[in-house]
Amino acid sequence: MATVLASHPKPRAPAHPTDVLPTDTAQLYTHIHPILVLSLYALQFPSIVADPVPALARALIPLSILQIVYVAICLPPTGGTATPVVDKKKAGGGGGGAEKGKKGGVRGTIIPGFLSLIVASTITAPLLAAILVLFGAPLTTHHAHTLLAAAHISFLGTLPLVYVHGVDGAAWRDIIALLRPVDEVYGGMIGGVVGAWLGAVPIPLDWDREWQKWPVTIVTGAYVGWAVGKMVGGVVLKGRKIVLE
Amino acid sequence: MDNGEPAPSYEGNAASYAKAKAEKEQQESQGLKPTTNDAAAAKKQSEIQFKAAHGLLVAFFSLILVLQLLGIYLFTSGFLLTRFTFDYKSECAIPPANTSARANTAGTSERGCWHPKTFDKAIVILIDALRYDFTVPLPAEGSDEKPHHFHNAFPILYETAVEHPRNAFLLPFIADAPTATMQRLKGLTTGTLPAFVDAGSNFAGTAIEEDNLISQLKNASKRIVHLGDDTWHALFPDHFEPELTRPYDSFNVWDLHTVDNGVTDHVFPLMHASNTSKWDVVIGHYLGVDHAGHRYGPDHSAMAAKLRQMDDIIRRMIEQLDDSTLLVVMGDHGMDAKGDHGGESDDEIQAALWMYSKQERFGRSSPVFNTPPATAKERPVAQIDLVPTLSLLLGMPIPFNNLGKPIEEAFIGTKGIDYENLAIVNRLTSAQIHRYQQEYASVQSMDEAARAASLMSYKHANEAWDSTGAKSKSEEYARVYGMYQTYQQETLDICKAMWASFDVPRMLNGVTILTFSLIMLAVYARGLTGDLSELSPVLLSRGGTGTVLGALLGFGVSSAVPEIPNQHAIIYAAAIFGNLGIASAFWYLRRRLASVLPNSIWGYLSIIFTLLLSVGFAANSFTIWEDEILLHFLSTFGFLSALSSLRQPKTTDRVLGIYHSILFVILTRLASLSRLCREEQMPFCKSTYYASATSSTSATWQLAIPFVVALLLPTFIRGYYEGTLSYQNSAVMWLGFGLRFGLLLSAAYWALDAADDGGWYPGFGGMLKTSKTVIAQLTLAIAVGVGYPTFTWAKPLLNIEEGKSHTPHPSKQILPSDGRSSIAILGYNNVHGSRYALLITIWYLATALLQKPMGAGALALCCWQIFSLLEIVATNHLSHSSIGPVVLGLLGSFHFFKTGHQAALSSIQWESAFIPLHTIRYPWSPLLIVLNTFGAQILCAVAVPALVLWKQPPKKGGLLGDVARATATHVLFYATVNLATTMWAGHLRRHLMLYRIFSPRFMMGALVLVIVDVVAIFVAVGGSRMSFLSVGEVFGVA
Repeated sequence: MATVLASHPKPRAPAHPTDVLPTDTAQLYTHIHPILVLSLYALQFPSIVADPVPALARALIPLSILQIVYVAICLPPTGGTATPVVDKKKAGGGGGGAEKGKKGGVRGTIIPGFLSLIVASTITAPLLAAILVLFGAPLTTHHAHTLLAAAHISFLGTLPLVYVHGVDGAAWRDIIALLRPVDEVYGGMIGGVVGAWLGAVPIPLDWDREWQKWPVTIVTGAYVGWAVGKMVGGVVLKGRKIVLE
Repeated sequence: MDNGEPAPSYEGNAASYAKAKAEKEQQESQGLKPTTNDAAAAKKQSEIQFKAAHGLLVAFFSLILVLQLLGIYLFTSGFLLTRFTFDYKSECAIPPANTSARANTAGTSERGCWHPKTFDKAIVILIDALRYDFTVPLPAEGSDEKPHHFHNAFPILYETAVEHPRNAFLLPFIADAPTATMQRLKGLTTGTLPAFVDAGSNFAGTAIEEDNLISQLKNASKRIVHLGDDTWHALFPDHFEPELTRPYDSFNVWDLHTVDNGVTDHVFPLMHASNTSKWDVVIGHYLGVDHAGHRYGPDHSAMAAKLRQMDDIIRRMIEQLDDSTLLVVMGDHGMDAKGDHGGESDDEIQAALWMYSKQERFGRSSPVFNTPPATAKERPVAQIDLVPTLSLLLGMPIPFNNLGKPIEEAFIGTKGIDYENLAIVNRLTSAQIHRYQQEYASVQSMDEAARAASLMSYKHANEAWDSTGAKSKSEEYARVYGMYQTYQQETLDICKAMWASFDVPRMLNGVTILTFSLIMLAVYARGLTGDLSELSPVLLSRGGTGTVLGALLGFGVSSAVPEIPNQHAIIYAAAIFGNLGIASAFWYLRRRLASVLPNSIWGYLSIIFTLLLSVGFAANSFTIWEDEILLHFLSTFGFLSALSSLRQPKTTDRVLGIYHSILFVILTRLASLSRLCREEQMPFCKSTYYASATSSTSATWQLAIPFVVALLLPTFIRGYYEGTLSYQNSAVMWLGFGLRFGLLLSAAYWALDAADDGGWYPGFGGMLKTSKTVIAQLTLAIAVGVGYPTFTWAKPLLNIEEGKSHTPHPSKQILPSDGRSSIAILGYNNVHGSRYALLITIWYLATALLQKPMGAGALALCCWQIFSLLEIVATNHLSHSSIGPVVLGLLGSFHFFKTGHQAALSSIQWESAFIPLHTIRYPWSPLLIVLNTFGAQILCAVAVPALVLWKQPPKKGGLLGDVARATATHVLFYATVNLATTMWAGHLRRHLMLYRIFSPRFMMGALVLVIVDVVAIFVAVGGSRMSFLSVGEVFGVA
């Protein structure tokens, strides 16, 4: 939706794109992760079409696990920066170092991951559900459907963002105003939202397909959009800023 | 403020100060230019210049309107085939022609009206989509084509025709496109050809008003029983015996059996000897074959099973049929290879017709014909031929509008030699056709040469008839029969040319004109830099000259070459040369041309919204769900404007922008709760516009909506004025009092209307009727008689504050005065916007009265959203962007649906013509219906100039050019939608859903474009003149 230009003339605050941790595992897994997530979704797709509410609810569990694993392995948690972790790992080396890293990982990465999950499910998911309703989701029925769709978009797009940026108001203002430089986390969120928007297109068509029912197309659009946005943001357009004017 | 006119002191102070300032600045800016020293004269001069520029601008927009009108007219005249219908009924006692003594029945339906009847009763079984090749054996014995599932599964019709040719015949039965059931039923009962617009007394309803076989039967006190597809009830309400009739919903194409089993369960008891006295005609409409086709396609085992079931049913009917009853089995259309229908391909139009009688009644003109045709190409009969055939067989008069001819097999006698009878029935049919054509020629012009030839044929046939006598031989009658047939065929050809064939060159040229005008408008709106208002002279002179030259050229060419139709050539050449003239003006101005492509996300967003919507109209689903798509787009805009507002550097811009963006989105969603669903949206849509889905009156609670609006809306609008301290002078009077009082009156009208409709106060009905009409007239009088003068003559909404200290406020222009105290001008920051926006509220009052209570509420939300949009545009600095005018277009289209309308003829609220009037009065009644139907688009079009005026500095130059650009962009949105719907309707002219979806949407698109054009030019751009002049009084005309 946005025109992306080379650079913003006057950056309001020095904001840097989020880099994937420079470990080999992180660099590799960040590319495997979307494939895993999409495959898992594809696998559950028939049951989601058959009965959206329980299937979407079930699908949240593996999604949240995968996302926490992804942020823990690949991304720097809020507050910390990528560099010290790397240094520690590099400095440690060998089996003992790995053990140490792992231990620090549970406290330093898994727990923020879970905290992000809590934020994504209690704050951003209801907000996104409200936005879905404003965009035309049923107001009086299908509440569980809408909320679950919002939860999926939230887990995909905002969980990593919360992990990286925490709940810092200024950072989130920039995020919502599309003022941050693009990276794979930010790109994933934008892609997920745009994908969900585009997912509404096939709903009115008179094809009489089961998968046209609410909210299957929205969720599918969000998954595909997230994967595309993550790749585009992390590789092609990394570091660029979005220009609206 | 004219010199010498006394003014209130505060106004005088502010005005004289500002006047002096403006004067000084003007002198400064003009520098060395030779100018008069007298400030008043200079002002006068710039005022005259402004008026001239404004007049030329209006003229140029009018030229664009003319070009668009020419395109719309040319396309419409080739596309919207109109057939006039008459209320005349054929009467039993008045045969159209005298026949021989043998046929004279003295006009009684006992023995037969115009001709002795053959049968007392009839059972007509309509098997929907019964294609001819379903009923005949696998083509060409010995051919190596493999049988399909639909072959040889329904052999009974063929068997009886071959084995008992005097009891039965089977013929191909050719439908006229469109091959949709409703149009087919019309053809099968009236004997007419389908046209787009059946212009008659009842324009909106589906019921057939024309003379037809069913109402003839009903008039003759025949008892008709209907079983099956409920489409019949929409066409013939109250024609069927209520106790015996069993209608079934026809929409669920997934259900193959419910309707069929229902018909079968009820038809056999009726055929039982104990029940045959209860009815005269039974119509059974089976849908299973059609549904099997839609669902599985013809080559599927489900189709074979369905056809075998039909075969079994017909066999049982033959067994149980009594001697005096005619059994007819027919299809209303065929189906294509996929099982769908609607178009005019061979497979879709080739149905089957079979008639059967226990007594020997039928014959063939040659024994070879005993075997039914192997393909539908041989000896076909038209579906309209059923009408005179069945009428005469049952002793009914032939319906007035019929164009069909009697089927030979039914009248030639068992030996196949009774040409006298054939001559008689064809003479009667021809005479009726002649009678109809005489009437028709008086209302619509026909091809004169062809008509003269057909009249000659009729004369010859009558002469040949007159020359026959009691001793005439069969050959003589055969000759008369042939001559009448010639006349019937010629008449049918004339009518087909008139009603059923599109004039494709006209349509294509219409689309060409519309496309060309659209490009010119796009370049004007988005591709020119600088002040647009100064370009009007060159654009207008070149465009106008081109149009006139083109018209002359078209006239010359069409006069020189007689093959070229005159009117067509003149219109086409005028429009094309007019556009070329404008294009040459662009070439002349080429230094000011810029890329039409957008340079920001807002520009792209405008294009994406417009194009997605336009492309979507090619699909019936997107057309049906247009309201939801618009909701989606409007929310997207509000969402993005909230993001954009967050990026604004100034805190006030940020806060205001976010607040109004969120408000805009919430109000959009709130308005979306008002819905009037179209039939195709069912069952996924719930109507809320009226008390219930089946009523067209408001619920009692809805009567509160206009009162709430009257209380709150003026207050909310006042809020938008107070933000810039513009709630001054006339605004206080109009918003605070005039508008509110008018809205209260409008609310009172709807309360009285409900009291009147509901009979709440019996005995006071007459008083209620009178008083509500007076109140409605008073409301309109307030809008026109108070609102408009206020708008025309009000001073700018400014005030001054004198004193020592002033609280700082962005909208106070603080001017130091003699050191000690200072003067603050209040409302300085939004002097243009606040002044112009009064017009929006005036139009709101006028349009809201004409909406139902729910619609007045929706329109109030629309009005509120317009003001929020003005704030969004101002705080995000988007007044030069295309997004504002495009969003207004989306908003107008959206609220069209929210005020209880749909792109369907049936949703027109005709009763709104009677809100301020008791009787139909021209031109007011159509105008009121337009205000009711397109109130939302009108309101939004009125608001367009406000987009570029809201919060603009008083002395900013080029504002008239900005108004022109915004207006052109707004019109561009509707022009694009119109072009798209026009192209799709033309392209899909044989689509199954043409009548229901594409054609109404095309008509709406064209109408809305013209109405928005007129409103934008004369109300919006026209109204901006008053606003500019009023502000110019104080600050000088920019």
